[in-house]
Amino acid sequence: MALFPVQGIVEGDFVVVLVPVDDTDPMTVVAEKIAYHGIGKRVAPQDRPLKVRWNGTVLADDSTIAGLGCAPMDVLEVLYA
Amino acid sequence: MPRLPRADWYDLTRDMNWDFSYVTEEDVFPELLSNGFGVPKQDWWTWDEPYKITYAEYVHNQAGKDAGLFTVNNVVGRSKIFENLEPGWMAATLAHYGAIAVGEYQAGIGEARMARFGRAASWRNMATYGCLDETRHGQLQTYFPYQALNKEPRLDWAHKAYHTNEWGMIAARHLFDDMFTANDAVSMAIQLTFTFETGFTNLQFLGMAADAMKVGDIDFGALISSIQTDEARHAQQGEPTLKILVAAGKKDVAQNLFDRMFWRAWKVFALLTGLSMDYYTPLEHRTHSFKEFMEEFINTQFIDQFRDFGLEAPWYWDQLLNEMNWVHHAYHLGVYYWRPTVWWNPVAGTLPEERAWLEEKYPGWNDSFGKYWDVMGENVRAGHPELTLPETFPVVCNSCQIPLCTPAGYAAGYLSSPLPLLLDLDGRRYTFCSEPCKWVFEQAPGQFKGHLSIIDRFLGGVIQPPTIPGALAYMGLSPEECGQDGTNYAWAHASVPVAGGVGR
Repeated sequence: MALFPVQGIVEGDFVVVLVPVDDTDPMTVVAEKIAYHGIGKRVAPQDRPLKVRWNGTVLADDSTIAGLGCAPMDVLEVLYA
Repeated sequence: MPRLPRADWYDLTRDMNWDFSYVTEEDVFPELLSNGFGVPKQDWWTWDEPYKITYAEYVHNQAGKDAGLFTVNNVVGRSKIFENLEPGWMAATLAHYGAIAVGEYQAGIGEARMARFGRAASWRNMATYGCLDETRHGQLQTYFPYQALNKEPRLDWAHKAYHTNEWGMIAARHLFDDMFTANDAVSMAIQLTFTFETGFTNLQFLGMAADAMKVGDIDFGALISSIQTDEARHAQQGEPTLKILVAAGKKDVAQNLFDRMFWRAWKVFALLTGLSMDYYTPLEHRTHSFKEFMEEFINTQFIDQFRDFGLEAPWYWDQLLNEMNWVHHAYHLGVYYWRPTVWWNPVAGTLPEERAWLEEKYPGWNDSFGKYWDVMGENVRAGHPELTLPETFPVVCNSCQIPLCTPAGYAAGYLSSPLPLLLDLDGRRYTFCSEPCKWVFEQAPGQFKGHLSIIDRFLGGVIQPPTIPGALAYMGLSPEECGQDGTNYAWAHASVPVAGGVGR
């Protein structure tokens, strides 16, 4: 387990935020950690599950940063499914 | 005592060019400080400023300006004008003083460099006046706020800001170091005096002077009007330098220098002037939107002047026009949301009538930007203003050093992707907000790649503890200095979102 900085974008938000995640977090947790800084604060919440997109691909919920081989400060987008 | 007309002696006394015999040209004008771009020295000796002035005239004029200015300052200091300024205007002036005042001294270093390393005696003569000008501007813009410290202690940021690691000041230093502190005399004439001063300071100084007078801040209005008269003179060092470069077949050099600095200047002015004009200036005193001002003074008048010299609009022109619709709205949101990281109290500027004005000036604003304010307003009304405050940091661009707001451009329909641009170089990752910012970096990677943005410092362990309070302390912001909502959330309580718009 290691802290891992990523650049997070919440779909519909206006800014890229710095988010520390854990490299073993499943994408469901990564999504929550990024969404925490935008949804309900500047972006209206929706009653739908969140997904993470990386390099144009929507990631499986159980995939992890370590398993995918993401680099520090890669850009992860959080969007509603 | 009989006096000759100026025209009878001016050219003789200012032209002290000669051939060196004891030293080489390279020793006198080393490339690092005075890059002549291969233009023969005799060509530089044709340098001729469009506006002539002698030292006696300079002293006479400046003394007269200062006499008038300090009279205004003295009278205003005994009045209640300052106390009655509206919160938004107070935010604009505090931001201005911190961002500009000590930078003026730094510009004096640049002018002094041209006064020594400019390639012609006539140019060095003009730059000497420019150095005196910038010193005056630094003194005035630290003295005027100093006079009002008993009314607003954070006016000491006029002097303090430049010496801190506050994120906006890192951006300002990054820009000004590139433009003059780390620049050679010839490039500086194109980038500082032509691109920045001729093009952009008009925007900040003329626009804000007019707004200041309307607001009733005659002290600030008189101050920056007086400064602008100096700027208008010494900015003219750019034109003859540009003409010589173009005549010598160095048009591509001039175009590149211009393109690099025009974009950089745009980003900082969008941050500083964009917020002041469209959000901080009280609604009843606004004459132009920031976009209208840019279109009139920069995109039309200035670029027309640029084309007269045979140069073209920068390659990123369409992107500039695109950003004028949205980027400063995003910067305003960012400054407001991360308000503890600035030394002024940002106002939201989103009362219903203000939102109507924004919608009129920027059609679609309510849908694209008003939606963020709707969510924040709901949180305030629900008793949770803490949800309008940050718990992490925005990532900043490794070129302009301003938070990455590409998602706003995408969400508003102006960009095809919300993603920032990445560059991996020598084992390090760099992030950019836009193609032109990445291009600026790539023009001189050796100059820029060692710089650490505020986020690089955070991740690299420079900022301790690595928390919001730790970062604020690193930026030089005590809790008393951190920005707060300038109107105590009046905007949120005055506006309630309704279908199709905003009502009370």
